Amino acid sequence: MANFRALQSANRRKTFFLLFFMGVLVWFIAYIAIANFGGSGASVVPLAVLISLVSVWGSYYASDKLVLRMTRAQVIQESDNPKLFNLVNEVCIASGLPMPKVAIVNDPAPNAFATGRDPNHALIAFTTGLLESMDRDELQGVVAHEMAHVANRDTLVSAVAATTAGIVALISDILMRMLWFGGGRNRDHGGNQMPIFLAIIPLILAPIAATMLKAAVSRKRESLADATAVAFTRNPAGLRAALEVLARDNTVVQARSSAVAHMYIESPLDASAASRLFATHPPIQERIENLRKMESNPLV
Amino acid sequence: MDASLLIIIAVALFVVYAIIQYNRLVRLNVQVDEAFSQIEVQLKRRADLIPNLVETVKGYASHEREALEKVVQARSASTTASTLPAIAAADGALTNALRGLLAVAEAYPDLKASSNFLQLQEELATTENKVSFSRQFYNETVRSLNTAVKTIPTSFFVGLAKVGAREFYEVDDPSARNVPNVKF
Repeated sequence: MANFRALQSANRRKTFFLLFFMGVLVWFIAYIAIANFGGSGASVVPLAVLISLVSVWGSYYASDKLVLRMTRAQVIQESDNPKLFNLVNEVCIASGLPMPKVAIVNDPAPNAFATGRDPNHALIAFTTGLLESMDRDELQGVVAHEMAHVANRDTLVSAVAATTAGIVALISDILMRMLWFGGGRNRDHGGNQMPIFLAIIPLILAPIAATMLKAAVSRKRESLADATAVAFTRNPAGLRAALEVLARDNTVVQARSSAVAHMYIESPLDASAASRLFATHPPIQERIENLRKMESNPLV
Repeated sequence: MDASLLIIIAVALFVVYAIIQYNRLVRLNVQVDEAFSQIEVQLKRRADLIPNLVETVKGYASHEREALEKVVQARSASTTASTLPAIAAADGALTNALRGLLAVAEAYPDLKASSNFLQLQEELATTENKVSFSRQFYNETVRSLNTAVKTIPTSFFVGLAKVGAREFYEVDDPSARNVPNVKF
């Protein structure tokens, strides 16, 4: 399966199934709320959906502006860095995408990210450390990876994943509080409710499962972006060399937070802090291996 | 519900379906045209860059007449080509001639260090990439169109939309197709 077309469709299929399971999880937790907590439980569901939708979709719609502020990125013009604009322009021609806004983050750690609600509002940003530590081919690979996120609408995909995970987390959280503070009321009414300890287990596990699924979606989108980048440049060696530079480097981005971690080309968080199941990125060695396989494939 | 109403609904649904397929074919065909004009834009860019390059190389390596001549000839051939295979062939010849000239330039440290040449270097690298990416994008659009022309259901509407399979843009030099990245 070492060609980019197969890798692209495999990752798209996996994203679809992961999002489907997240949808199932929402129905599951909503069912628990309605079946076990009576009328007050049922009213929690639309409330959680509304809160999650408003908070996530607000930040999705203004993602290009919000992220600029959170990461302290500065939008630059063509005259500020003609070579970088050349590289972005090349990838635009290869992908047929419109020219995005380009930004620089003043940070010695090499990293890059893409955001924006659609290709017409796309923004891609690079740290100064990345621009200084890579040659032309490597930079082209990174630019192609970021433009691949734009082409694959990954801001939208991660907003959908964040919304569903948010709904599950909110419902579980509110129900847990109800159990703690007012749970007794339901038992007075009688009815066929589960014993409390049985209701607690899914309330604890569901948000964890939702977080893991959200991370899995993010990992699949990273693999997909690598494959799409190769579809643009037909040069897996460039991106592979770039990832090797990132793997060798131990510095981490200063203005970092887990809120924007999933956007970067390499996770800005410490690898040891997150276990594999919660990681937003596939292990970098695995990505390098996949690109190496594409390099030896004559179809590329 | 009487039968005539059912027939009207069925016909209406079919018309909507036919319009969707027809539009898809026309859209794909327009995309191929757009992608081809992108190739022409990039070829023009490269042709405009060459006189400057030739002058710069002449200043330091005037006796490399053969390599210089090849580039100048290939450039003039590429500006007169009009059909797609002719444009592609001239494009491939110019790519090869440029590569030859830059290989010759390697032997002249003064030339390589000159500010003019250094400026041209990034310009040439990006132009060469843009040319090959626009070829590749064109071939991708042809691939989508030709697939639609040959597969059901769009293939049924090929005659109606007056759209047919299009030619790929093939450059003679196989390495030019596979490796768009040129190092100078």
